[in-house]
Amino acid sequence: MDWRIVRTLVVKDVTLYFRNRFFAFITILALVAYAVMYFLMPNAVDEEIEIGLYAPGMPSGFTAQLQEEGVILRAAASEEALKEAVGAGEYPVGVAFSADILEKLAAGQKDQVRIYFSPNFPDELKDAYAIVFEEIAFMLAGRPLNIEASGEVLGIDTAGAQIPPRDRMLPLFAVFVLLMETLGLASLISSEIEGRTIGALLITPMRVEGLFAGKGITGVGLAFVQAVILMTVTGGLDREPVLILAALLLGALLSTGIAFMIASVARDMLSVIGWGVLAIVALSVPALSVLLPGTISDWIKVIPSYYLVDTVHRAANFGIGWGEAGQNLLILLAFALAFLWLGVIVLRRKFR
Amino acid sequence: MTQKAIVTEALTYRYGQLTAVDHISFDVAEGEILGFLGPNGAGKSTTIKMLTGQLVPKEGRATVLGLDVAKASKKIQAQIGVSFETTNLYEQMSAEENLKLFARLFGVKDVDISALLQRVGLDGRGRERVESYSKGMKQRLMVARALVNRPRVLFLDEPTEGLDPTSAQAIRSVILEERERGATVFLTTHDMLEADKLSDRVAFINQGQIVALDTPHALKQQYGKRALKAQVASAAGSLETREIILDRPETSQAVRELFDREQVVTVHSEEASLEDIFIRITGRGLA
Repeated sequence: MDWRIVRTLVVKDVTLYFRNRFFAFITILALVAYAVMYFLMPNAVDEEIEIGLYAPGMPSGFTAQLQEEGVILRAAASEEALKEAVGAGEYPVGVAFSADILEKLAAGQKDQVRIYFSPNFPDELKDAYAIVFEEIAFMLAGRPLNIEASGEVLGIDTAGAQIPPRDRMLPLFAVFVLLMETLGLASLISSEIEGRTIGALLITPMRVEGLFAGKGITGVGLAFVQAVILMTVTGGLDREPVLILAALLLGALLSTGIAFMIASVARDMLSVIGWGVLAIVALSVPALSVLLPGTISDWIKVIPSYYLVDTVHRAANFGIGWGEAGQNLLILLAFALAFLWLGVIVLRRKFR
Repeated sequence: MTQKAIVTEALTYRYGQLTAVDHISFDVAEGEILGFLGPNGAGKSTTIKMLTGQLVPKEGRATVLGLDVAKASKKIQAQIGVSFETTNLYEQMSAEENLKLFARLFGVKDVDISALLQRVGLDGRGRERVESYSKGMKQRLMVARALVNRPRVLFLDEPTEGLDPTSAQAIRSVILEERERGATVFLTTHDMLEADKLSDRVAFINQGQIVALDTPHALKQQYGKRALKAQVASAAGSLETREIILDRPETSQAVRELFDREQVVTVHSEEASLEDIFIRITGRGLA
């Protein structure tokens, strides 16, 4: 392969990429927007629960113990005052215990604990708070209550190591940058076919292999550099940088293969965007597993980008090493090579 | 002995069941301009595509500069220039950038881009983006691009089709200059007058087959008829036309009788055009 020719082609493609005002604009806009969104998002986790409390029979030291658990207690003078404060939204939840709760529990009797939620309190959290109050009742009684509770940790157990929202989003931003690049590269190739310049290139000493090498280097380079810029600016490379760079590079390879496939079916820029958005949406689904752990089943692992998102997320946020990420990287490499190979095959047919 | 720049032997190409080029055999000498004439769909562009390595022949063989087109297309492509029928320039790049790009791809370092643009009448417009060019300017730039590597064989596919007279003339001048330089020119065109003026020889291709191949003069001799046309004044005072076929035994007598009996106002001779000959050979026009 003549690398002088490949270099010439890469320089030409990068020049044309940034002369396409649409793609130059969305490239820079996306980078800036993701970085700005990152810095605007909270950088700390709010692990405290604010609860209004009316518990006339509460033992001494109870408040301090709960506050150590991250619960901020706001004492109310009466049950009516508690209901009024919750209704006014001063705190989202209020709980009222009977004055004789300890005696009843000691006698083995059940007592009623009244929980008041503010009007806009999310339904899905009401059960969680109910469990919190059962916990409080347990602490009051000093022994297990007549209930059976079971817990399951869904996704990564982040107990004690919760991730700020912006750091949870960061790997997704990086992956989005990579995926967006499929549009740019596919458009470059598609316009080359549409404008028939591919014919002019192929009657020079350039070989088809050189053409694919040039396009591949352009695609991988543009995607990788943008993702690295984003991760560097946002501090996403502070932990396990080499591992994350390796994952991003494989992700760039994957997105290049997908871009080849899109270019082979697209007829113009509009159809590139149509096919591209479809691919981006499909490949973004694994992002949900990071945003909402436990909400997605194992089927998501058939989507190649899962291994990219998962690796970058766990490396950037939990500092996993090569040992833990090795399997992910191998699968990602296999997917990237398969997509690249398939992309080359279908695009080659299109060139003919 | 004159070297052959292009040689084809029973060259054939099929698109599925359709035979686009059907066992054509011809050769082109170095430094010769061959006009390759035929109507749309006759097989002109397919022939060029095979000779330039864009398509692999289904049957037969062809060599360009002694190299087999099916086996050494990249070596051939390094020594030829091709101007396509359809514009295929990088529209978001300037003319200069387009030419520099292809010069780099050909590995040519000492090409004078300004001189090249001047040759095709685009001097002073080289830094403008091609998207702002007219069709004629784009076509001239395509020809300039075909020259960046100083090709030994130049393939020009309909280089003047639909162009204004100035652009067409600029391209014709370049073709003649290239012949002067020693390059071989393979020219496909619809324009019979252009082919007549520029070509050393012309080949007529029809339905994938070469139906005639010779110099324009020889073709006219073989297939055309020369005539003498005269305008004579009638008794009523109007002008009438008389035609006498030349090169026949009775021609002398007919000319004498014309001048003796009629009041001749104007007289001129007329040669058969290549188009007339094409129609006569193929029974169809070039449209």
